[in-house]
Amino acid sequence: MLLTGGRGDAARPTAPARWSVELESRTSAPARHRPLKVRADEPALTDEPFVYWSGDSAVQPLTAGEISGLRLFLSLGGVVLVDDAGPSDDGTPGAFGRTARAEIARVLPDTTPIAIGSEHVIFRSFYLLRRAAGRVLGTRTLDAIVRGGKAAVVFSEHDLGGALAKGASGAWEFSVSPGGEIQREQAIRLSVNIAMYVLCSNYKDDQVHAPFLMRRRAFVPEPGSEP
Amino acid sequence: MNTVSRLATSADLPTWAIVVAVALAACNLALLLIELRRRERGGAGILFTGVLAIVALVLAVLRPVRVAAKENIVGPRVVVLADTSRSMALADGAAGSGAGTRAAARDRAIAAINVRASDARLVVLGFGDGAPTPFDVGGGHSDRAVRSDLASAIQALAASPDERPRAVIVVSDGRLDNPTADASPAALRALGRTLGVPVHAIATTRDAPADASIRKVAAAGVAVAHVAFPLHIEVGCAGGLPCDELKVTAKELREDGPPSLLASGTVHVKDGKGAVDLMVTLERAGSRILDVSLVSPPGDTIPENDRRLVTFDVARERVRVLHVAGRPTDDVRALREWLKSDASVDVVAFFILRTPTDNPHADQQDLALIPFPVDELFSEDLPTFDAVVLQDFDAQPYGLEKHLPALARYVRGGGGLIMVGGPNSFIGGGYADTPLGNAVGVLPVALDSSPNATASDPVSFEPSWTEQGRAAPLLAPLRAIVGDELPAMPGTNVLGDARPGTVVLWSHPSRTTPNGKPMPVLAVGEAGDGRTIALGLDGAWRLEFSPLGARTAGRGYGALWSGLLGWLMRDPRFEPAQVEVVGGCTAGLPVTLRVHTLPEVAHSPSRSLSVDVAPLEKESAASGKSSPVHREVVADAAGTTELSLPPLAAGGYVARLHVGASGTTRRDFACEAGGDEWADSRPDGARLRELAEASGGAFAWASDGVSGIPLPSPTTVSAERHVAPVAPPWVWTVSAAILLGAHWIARRRGGLA
Repeated sequence: MLLTGGRGDAARPTAPARWSVELESRTSAPARHRPLKVRADEPALTDEPFVYWSGDSAVQPLTAGEISGLRLFLSLGGVVLVDDAGPSDDGTPGAFGRTARAEIARVLPDTTPIAIGSEHVIFRSFYLLRRAAGRVLGTRTLDAIVRGGKAAVVFSEHDLGGALAKGASGAWEFSVSPGGEIQREQAIRLSVNIAMYVLCSNYKDDQVHAPFLMRRRAFVPEPGSEP
Repeated sequence: MNTVSRLATSADLPTWAIVVAVALAACNLALLLIELRRRERGGAGILFTGVLAIVALVLAVLRPVRVAAKENIVGPRVVVLADTSRSMALADGAAGSGAGTRAAARDRAIAAINVRASDARLVVLGFGDGAPTPFDVGGGHSDRAVRSDLASAIQALAASPDERPRAVIVVSDGRLDNPTADASPAALRALGRTLGVPVHAIATTRDAPADASIRKVAAAGVAVAHVAFPLHIEVGCAGGLPCDELKVTAKELREDGPPSLLASGTVHVKDGKGAVDLMVTLERAGSRILDVSLVSPPGDTIPENDRRLVTFDVARERVRVLHVAGRPTDDVRALREWLKSDASVDVVAFFILRTPTDNPHADQQDLALIPFPVDELFSEDLPTFDAVVLQDFDAQPYGLEKHLPALARYVRGGGGLIMVGGPNSFIGGGYADTPLGNAVGVLPVALDSSPNATASDPVSFEPSWTEQGRAAPLLAPLRAIVGDELPAMPGTNVLGDARPGTVVLWSHPSRTTPNGKPMPVLAVGEAGDGRTIALGLDGAWRLEFSPLGARTAGRGYGALWSGLLGWLMRDPRFEPAQVEVVGGCTAGLPVTLRVHTLPEVAHSPSRSLSVDVAPLEKESAASGKSSPVHREVVADAAGTTELSLPPLAAGGYVARLHVGASGTTRRDFACEAGGDEWADSRPDGARLRELAEASGGAFAWASDGVSGIPLPSPTTVSAERHVAPVAPPWVWTVSAAILLGAHWIARRRGGLA
């Protein structure tokens, strides 16, 4: 979990652990059960290739050290998931989403996020997904800064962590709307797909998968009937 | 040397003065004869004194001298160019003629020339490959040259500072590489004019032996691995051998087993020759030996040229890698991204994303998962890959176990295998008691197959560089980036002792093998024609993501894998040395290997090299026709060394060069019984005749004798020349005056003025 601007914790601190559990139980991928917290200006940022940056309030401007750290991390091929924990129900970015994008723009000044939909490999890295979903349904797509053909920074305006977060009692911390538990399952699947994308890169873009996936796409319900 | 003496005119007279004097004397004599008609008497006296006076006047002008000298008759320099190519070892004439070899006919012809040209200075040189060399008639070993390049020999004579010969006599069977059979008359004339002297020719052989042969094997363009290419095969029948159709086959010699049949076909022979194109595909890059053979028809007298062994240097367009991973991890991600980033690598990847115990909470149609085509990949598709990477992959649950024998054969046949660590690799993946990891397995390290064997050690550690690792060219790019430093690794697979020939590059700092040696962590080795690598950790990605990775911009990871894959594919950059066979290899003749070591090897303290040469065909080794050869030598500081090998039998060979601590490299090569020189056994007297006629020389068949070959005449050379006047000049002058006076008196008495 990436921490910046003097914050001591992420907005959805229990989400990463749940994410790991879901990843391990559903896939062959290993996961860290106790996710680490790392500050953007710490050398430890470059110890792992994936960081999860979530928040529900505006981000303080990144320091020069934080910008430098994130640049180095991204230059090594690391992936950042920016998860807005405070979007509106229609997916309009909250304060965190807006300011985080602005800060990422300072880290990677010559890049622009683009929308990535079901045609992107993230949406088929494990599950075949038609759209993005989190605690809020939001937009159908994610945004991403693509460098060298790979999504280096992924922006979610769906509060993905909100759908994953579980309290100490084992109960979900937040209700999911408007789709309820079906939408939560879609959020879990999206989180699994993001993790598999980080671990497998564009593996599912390989030509060998194409005929299988095209056949299966044909069986997936039309977008209008999807939760 | 004889001493001779003769008269001459005074040396100070120019030639024109002598001519003028003689002409004037002739005129005087004519006038004297005319005047004699008007005499009244005494005609005999007038004529006698007149002639004496004219002679005296001429002698007074010429002033004769006596020349004494020692003279010698020097014979003309005649160069005999004797064909020393391998084709001269063939029979002279048709089968059953009872004649010896063409070389014997050549030697007899040269002996006859020697007798006939007793006045000539005969120089006998042998021609074959390049400039001619002194030739010992009947001295043996005279038919070893793998080419018959007459043109180069003549050009070398022309360029030589030695005395230019007055004539050249070529003694050959006429089956020449240069000038070629299709050389134009103009080219032959130009060759004949090179020396400016006649080139005579003596053909040793008239009749072709009964022989069917493969005359030529050629590939259009470059042979590229995995790409079918046409192999153009020309065959011929001569000497009255009945052969309308000949069956030909193309096989690849392999160290791991019998030759593999690549293609076969039938050649229709018309007018004694025919050709066929066979489509062949070579799956492995590097030097590959093809055995192209025909089925001999009855009566074939030269079976050796029914088989050609051709070395192809197979290029690689792209490296095809099969990347199989047991689960997605950071290490898998790093390797995949590196493989995909290299445009020269064609990756086919299969990752196990879901195990049987995982529950995705979804129908199959909602999953982007496809069946793992293990049977297809490891049976029919396997030969199409240059390398297989098994990364953290358990062989048992996914049906790979039954394909491991085929995978081991694939490696021994020239394929590359890398096993990358993780909980499901090596012992943990059940490879210990398989053709990959058992006592004769292809992996470079032994694996403990006991039930209680420890599969892995989760304790973090930093691998240690071994001496061989520091010297290995394949890790030189990595060392240039990280030096001696390596990142901490999150545990290791437990590996056993290195097999013989294995090079351990990294070892564990504290764990040891059953033999008490530091446990290998990264080891490379050879198995048959192929190579294998054991990387007993799944933390190589930390060359990108770690403090060391951050300091080096993550370049170490790419450098490591570039070296590993490059070494596996025998990239010359990562070979400790290059081996070449100097002048090719001909069965029965000594062989020279030239070794070029890398600069770092040449400058290292330990420059010891050893080479093991063994036949590729196990049958040859088993029958004792070809014995393994071992040689040791110390490389010179320049990095180039030559090794002499004893004569080898016909067949394919692999030369393995062990370069100190830097590892091993290999070179496959072929030794042919006759090679190109025996491919076409027909003599070609017509070409010799054309060459002789083009240069103004004579042609003769050796069996007809050499009397028809004209030899230049000798030259006289004078020495110790002494010149003395016959008489002093005043004697000639006074004599002329007295005789003129006597003539004047005789004229007056005869009534002439």
